[in-house]
Amino acid sequence: MIDRRRFILTLAAGAAGMLVSKGRGRASAAPRTDKPSIATPPPKHELAVVHGTNPDLAVRKAVELVGGMPSFVSRGDVVLVKPNIGWDRTPEQAATTNPAVVAALVAMALEAGAKKVIVADNTCNDARRSYVRSGIGEAAKAAGADVVHMEDRHFVKTNLKGEVLKDWLCYRGALDADKIINVPIAKHHGLSRVTLSMKNLMGVVGGSRNLLHQRLAESVVDLAAYFRPQLTVLDAVRILKANGPQGGSMKDVERLDTVAASADPVRIDAFGVTLFGIEPADFRPISLGEKRGLGTGEFRGAGFVEVNVG
Amino acid sequence: MKNLRRASQILFFLLFIYLFVQTEYKGRNELGLPVRLFLDFDPLVALSSLLASHAVRAIFLLSLVTVALTAVLGRFFCGWVCPLGTIHTLVGRFRMRALKPGRNEGRFPRLRPVKYFVLVFVLVAAVFGWNAAGYLDPISLTIRSLAIGYNPAINKMVRSFFEFAYALDIPRVSPAVDGLYSAMVGTVLAFEQPIFRQTLLIASLFTVILGLNLLAPRFWCRYLCPLGALLGLVGARQIGARVANDASKCISCRKCIVACQGDATPFPSGRWASRECLVCWNCRDVCPADAISIRPTTARTGDGNVDLERRWLLASGAGAILAVPVLASGVQRKRTDPLLIRPPGALPERDFLRRCVKCGECMKVCLTNGLHPTFLEAGLEGLWTPVLVPRLGYCEYNCNLCSQVCPTGAIRPVSVEEKHEIRIGLAFFDTNRCIPYAFGRNCIVCEEHCPTPEKAIVFVEEEALDGDGNAFILKKPVVNPDLCIGCGVCEAKCPVLDMPAVRVSAINESRSERSRLFLNI
Repeated sequence: MIDRRRFILTLAAGAAGMLVSKGRGRASAAPRTDKPSIATPPPKHELAVVHGTNPDLAVRKAVELVGGMPSFVSRGDVVLVKPNIGWDRTPEQAATTNPAVVAALVAMALEAGAKKVIVADNTCNDARRSYVRSGIGEAAKAAGADVVHMEDRHFVKTNLKGEVLKDWLCYRGALDADKIINVPIAKHHGLSRVTLSMKNLMGVVGGSRNLLHQRLAESVVDLAAYFRPQLTVLDAVRILKANGPQGGSMKDVERLDTVAASADPVRIDAFGVTLFGIEPADFRPISLGEKRGLGTGEFRGAGFVEVNVG
Repeated sequence: MKNLRRASQILFFLLFIYLFVQTEYKGRNELGLPVRLFLDFDPLVALSSLLASHAVRAIFLLSLVTVALTAVLGRFFCGWVCPLGTIHTLVGRFRMRALKPGRNEGRFPRLRPVKYFVLVFVLVAAVFGWNAAGYLDPISLTIRSLAIGYNPAINKMVRSFFEFAYALDIPRVSPAVDGLYSAMVGTVLAFEQPIFRQTLLIASLFTVILGLNLLAPRFWCRYLCPLGALLGLVGARQIGARVANDASKCISCRKCIVACQGDATPFPSGRWASRECLVCWNCRDVCPADAISIRPTTARTGDGNVDLERRWLLASGAGAILAVPVLASGVQRKRTDPLLIRPPGALPERDFLRRCVKCGECMKVCLTNGLHPTFLEAGLEGLWTPVLVPRLGYCEYNCNLCSQVCPTGAIRPVSVEEKHEIRIGLAFFDTNRCIPYAFGRNCIVCEEHCPTPEKAIVFVEEEALDGDGNAFILKKPVVNPDLCIGCGVCEAKCPVLDMPAVRVSAINESRSERSRLFLNI
């Protein structure tokens, strides 16, 4: 029996879902075509932290622990994998996402039946150099992605309906994608102390995005609320502990051989800040994100799993 | 036979354009292609830089190949190789068609000596330290005019078309257009729309030079080009391909005179001017009586070369001798312009000016479109030399492309590691405009972009209250002059767009002792 109250709530949720889908400009009615697997699915965790020296294995394990790629990417999807390619730095310098992490996600999305996987970022340094020197351009291409540059015409004015962000130029590839996989690297930042998954979404907006720094926490939460990545994979293979977000000196880099995966951007960022000795409660984007209902800052709660591989 | 010459012209022109288009970052630190090839083989560039700087560079040997071949073949370079010559051949065709033997021959024979006077002026000026060759050297002129003048316009045109087609948002068509466009960007089109200062001026001058073809075909090559003059002098006694007019067969139709690209008067017999001959072979092909032959011979066929009157030669030299001290009396010699930020690897200013030929290769290749032609920052003597304009484009930390393409070593080759240590200027905050100082709000964009591993922009933190009365940490940026290299990324990225709140000036640049700002650096 469904009582009236539950019926209305269900209706409202459905309508809200459709609205959100419409806002994102994606094909909202497309049904999932992947069949539920017959075998008992592995227990699904909410946040998986995996330690291992092989980034490819670690990423695969982490995604598997939070439900496996098919629970995020459906057959025929166009997927945007959004790493941090912001700087003209090498992977060893830990200013950009580890290319092996990006490549693993591209491959997994394709294995899950994605029609197309796009890898792109709105870079700070010259885009060509950043794509090349980060190693992401080559690795993602080899894994089967469409590695593209964001060009001016690919940005369209969009109402983000945020607390501080209203009309902004947004990357069409992110607006049109069926799914977004956000792949930040954990590193130091001069203003926010740390830059993690929510801030990484600054790479899908254009225009005068430098201004976002003036109300950074509100801005990145607005971005996370609007773009709502299906999956976030945090690269902490190497982290940059000072002189971020660009780094350049090896003495600021620490090798952790860690990746984390979650569908909850707040929770994964809450884990991320602890790598830098910061309490999640002291990190404004996390408390704001919680307040906005984007996730939980209690990353160690139910559904947390931490394993070693390899 | 002239088809052979045409094939050579087309081939070399395509090579030139190919190298021009490739003068851009292509995914590797090293360009890997000899994009300045034509400049390397240009004896005027080598000679003027040699005379002005007294520095002998191994690369100048390449231009001796051109000299040696010219001594044997005459001005084959003008007729068969020179990209500007080929452009003139093409544009001059329209004029050439309208010419009639005997009536309207489109010639100004008395102007033929002018180019030699230009050459003398340029070389004497070089001896006295002013390297003016690049303004008129055809290779420098062409690269500069295309890079600064025509290329931005061509890019704009093509881009506008594609962007229009993309914006129409027609299903299937627009995505296809987008794909084609993306494929063209970075290959045939520049990666980003090039924008330069003085595009209009430099494009207009080049257009005027092309327009001279309305007066006479290849007017520039015949009467003005200093490289043509140099090669004419070198090749005057050519033995490889002399034009011989067999007077017994000649019917005096004057068709050869009109068809001649160089105003070299193949007719009458004995009046052929070897220095003016561009080895185009038109005279032989057009002769209805088979009276003209082109063959290797040591026999003299007469010499119609014009006299270079001594007084004009002296006047040209004297003009240069007078011009140099006037130019050198500019105020820049006393105090350098604060905005004269030279690319890393640039020699000290005096040496730099003696070598730079204003070819524009460094500006074309600059990753961020930050190098622009100077107007008066370096004085009139330094017009169109490269200057970094951080507001328009900064110096990318790990890039050394400009030092790879410079043909004369005005920007010496520097490795990326060496470049990291070179200061080209120093950043200064304008606290009246800087957001944290002026308005008490955080910004940090400059600090974020500062590329030195230990940041040259650091924060002074202080407690402040926001509009709602909440306490927060205000981060006021300051420059550490021991670390700042003057790359200008802070100025380029500063959100105060119209007049950035952090600006770089040339003081403290490594290359100049006079620019020192601190005792300990």
